[in-house]
Amino acid sequence: MKKKITETTFVITAVIGSFLIMLLVMVNTFSSSKQTVSATNEAVSAVSSFYLEAMADRRAQTISNLINSTFDEMGKALAFIEEEHVETQDDLRSIIGKVESLLSLNRLALVDQDDIVYTRYTTYTGRTRHEFLSEEVMQDRMISTVYFYGSSKQLCLAIPIPDFTIMGKPMKACFAQIDIRDIVNLLAFDYQGSTYFGLYSKNGGNISDTDLGPVIAGQNLFDALEPYLTEDILSMHRDNFANGAEGDITYASDGVAETLAYFPIQGTDWEIVVLIRESVINDQIREISEKNLSSSRKQTAFTLIAALVLAVVLLLESRMIAKSKIEAEKETSKTFKTMANTDAMTGVRNKHAYAEQEAALNQQIKDHEIEKLGVVVCDINGLKTVNDTLGHAEGDKLIKEACALICKYFSHGAVFRIGGDEFAVLLKGEGYDLMTEDIEAFNRKAEANIAEDAVVVSVGYATLNAEDRQVRDVFDRADQMMYERKKELKEMGARTR
Amino acid sequence: MDEPARRKRPILLRAAALLFAACLSAAPTGAAEETGSSQEAPEAAASSVRSAVDFDRELDDYTPLKDHYNFYFTYKTVHAWWDAVALGMEEAQRQYLDKGITITYEYMAPDMASARDQSKRLLLAEQGDYDVIGVDVADEAIISPLLDEMVEDGEKVMTFSSSDAAEGCKRIAYVGNTHNYEDGVLLTEALCEKLDYKGKVAVLVGSVGAPCHEDRARGAADTIGKYGDMEIVAREYDMDSVDKAYELTKKILTEHPDLDGIICCNMSNPVGAARAITEMESNAVIVGMDHDQEALRYLTDGVIYCLGVQDCYSIGFDTIQTAVKIADGQSPGELFPEKTDEITTIIYQEDAALMLELLYGESL
Repeated sequence: MKKKITETTFVITAVIGSFLIMLLVMVNTFSSSKQTVSATNEAVSAVSSFYLEAMADRRAQTISNLINSTFDEMGKALAFIEEEHVETQDDLRSIIGKVESLLSLNRLALVDQDDIVYTRYTTYTGRTRHEFLSEEVMQDRMISTVYFYGSSKQLCLAIPIPDFTIMGKPMKACFAQIDIRDIVNLLAFDYQGSTYFGLYSKNGGNISDTDLGPVIAGQNLFDALEPYLTEDILSMHRDNFANGAEGDITYASDGVAETLAYFPIQGTDWEIVVLIRESVINDQIREISEKNLSSSRKQTAFTLIAALVLAVVLLLESRMIAKSKIEAEKETSKTFKTMANTDAMTGVRNKHAYAEQEAALNQQIKDHEIEKLGVVVCDINGLKTVNDTLGHAEGDKLIKEACALICKYFSHGAVFRIGGDEFAVLLKGEGYDLMTEDIEAFNRKAEANIAEDAVVVSVGYATLNAEDRQVRDVFDRADQMMYERKKELKEMGARTR
Repeated sequence: MDEPARRKRPILLRAAALLFAACLSAAPTGAAEETGSSQEAPEAAASSVRSAVDFDRELDDYTPLKDHYNFYFTYKTVHAWWDAVALGMEEAQRQYLDKGITITYEYMAPDMASARDQSKRLLLAEQGDYDVIGVDVADEAIISPLLDEMVEDGEKVMTFSSSDAAEGCKRIAYVGNTHNYEDGVLLTEALCEKLDYKGKVAVLVGSVGAPCHEDRARGAADTIGKYGDMEIVAREYDMDSVDKAYELTKKILTEHPDLDGIICCNMSNPVGAARAITEMESNAVIVGMDHDQEALRYLTDGVIYCLGVQDCYSIGFDTIQTAVKIADGQSPGELFPEKTDEITTIIYQEDAALMLELLYGESL
């Protein structure tokens, strides 16, 4: 059995459908914003690592370049000193001073075979002070980190000079020191509160005295990271430091992610470490992302509201359409009803209409709701003769002329064609009051028409009285009277059939 | 540590307290005084360790009369202790340079402490063009007369770092530790307290005749002498050699396997002693002097019980400052004292890490 779709069903379907669509849109929006945040975080992490590795690499290269250029300058300094005629310690101090100024070298020194160190201002026994002098014979260049008894940390670059003799003394080595503070200044960049760097020894000790962000600060790198990394990972990075390898570490402290990259500096035991606080980048990207999300949310909300408004409009329109459809159906029904109650030829109400009206009046009579009712019964004289002699078209014409005549004289009543040549007029109100006058006028016209060979209609009439139980009672009396009149008119020369 | 920590305090104050207590009674009131000091808060202890060496020295208001000075300094032996002094000297030299005053100097020592070598160096320096000659006396009996002769010859002579010349020497001034005897007393008192005032101890001394080492050894001997249940069973000189200190300690431990403690009077003694103690698995308690990195590590590990750390940096800084004034013909008095005292701080196991970090950047 086919289920009938009602308007309520339609409305419920529309509401649930709209709600589901809105829900889907919201879920999609939420899901896509979550994916966006996740993708952004991954991108930030990837970009951070890449950015840091590149930064650490560049700065390691800068230090390597500084070391190489210092070694080159030391070579030039030795050539310069060799060309001078140094005979006394004062001469040597003077020339070392000149060379330091000319080549911008910091603490240039020569060391003789007895480990006596000659600098610009001092001459001292240096065996216990300089690590590279612990070797009896220096084989190659040596780079060491100097930090002794609270002195400033220095990078010491030493080269063997076995063939170098000065003041008659064979020399062992030449060395220069680079203050780590100068290296830090050389490497310094705009921190922007998010990027930090530091120089570290093989065991993770901070050489540069620079704070590596708020978590690690100036502590030993591995000591500081111990609470944030597993022992395996920490051990792996310790090994990397010890072996002069590169790598990166990401950890989170108090919900703030930090990434650091480390890179070995060639020729030294150092690692340069660059750290970025992802939270700062994240905050910036999140701000942009949130703006986009906010815009997206507004668009979604706007879409939802638009969809809602559209749904409401559609529902209203649907209701209006349904209503107008019902109206139209009612109208059609009315038309059909009218058509069913109207005589197609004359345009007056037909026998069916008369029957309905008769039933309604019978109810009123029964209920004593009506007192004044007149019934006029009309019959066209000579219709059969016209049909038979002049054809049905002339007969129809006669019917129409008769109907027009009846309607004209009983304009205050309801005219019904209740048979081929028979009409009935129901009179109430004013029609009832004028009934006698109208009958008389009508009869005069009928009599006049006999002479003019025009349409002649016989009428009889009767009014409702107290004994009548139904309209038929009145009708019968009027019909009786109509036959009487028909005879009268025949006598006056009218056609009877 | 297995007993309450003892805190650092400038040794002069502690020595004064000890002497005062000793005057009042022969009982070990000094030990009670030390134990009382263990109540210091950790922050105060850290502060005390940091103040053991003053790296923030600045020149005083004295205006030098010349714009260039040339000095000669010689000290007992090549050793890291005097390298630390050198750093203080270099800082003073740098600060004078900032004022437009150039200071050049030689800072030389033999591989082994030797009064004869020192004499030769001083005589050679006398021939040079130096404004002031400074010496860390290797043997006061030999060097003091030589210094007197140099002064009589018109040389401006001063003594510095760990050892002054003999009483009555004509040297102009001394900058350094003036309380070596008290250092010996303090270290020994700490040891006695640790050993509950009974047991056999050995005394390791540095160079024969070196006043600072001998004074500390005297202080140690006098302190042990106070306690009837304590006895010095050995006394040896390592001649400022770690290797010799190690060999001597092994020898002493072999001869006295029940040794309870070792008093070390110089920088090399505690390192050699700690190596030997560790190797021979002895329980002897070591007290010693100075800031050797290896000794500080032994202190961290508990092998050494305590160390007396001298402010070498200030010794070097004040040596140059005083030398400039002496070169200008100034005499001890308002401008500088005849003896510039520098502090010693006793540190224990819990102080070792911070001291290692301060002096050697140990985390590096």
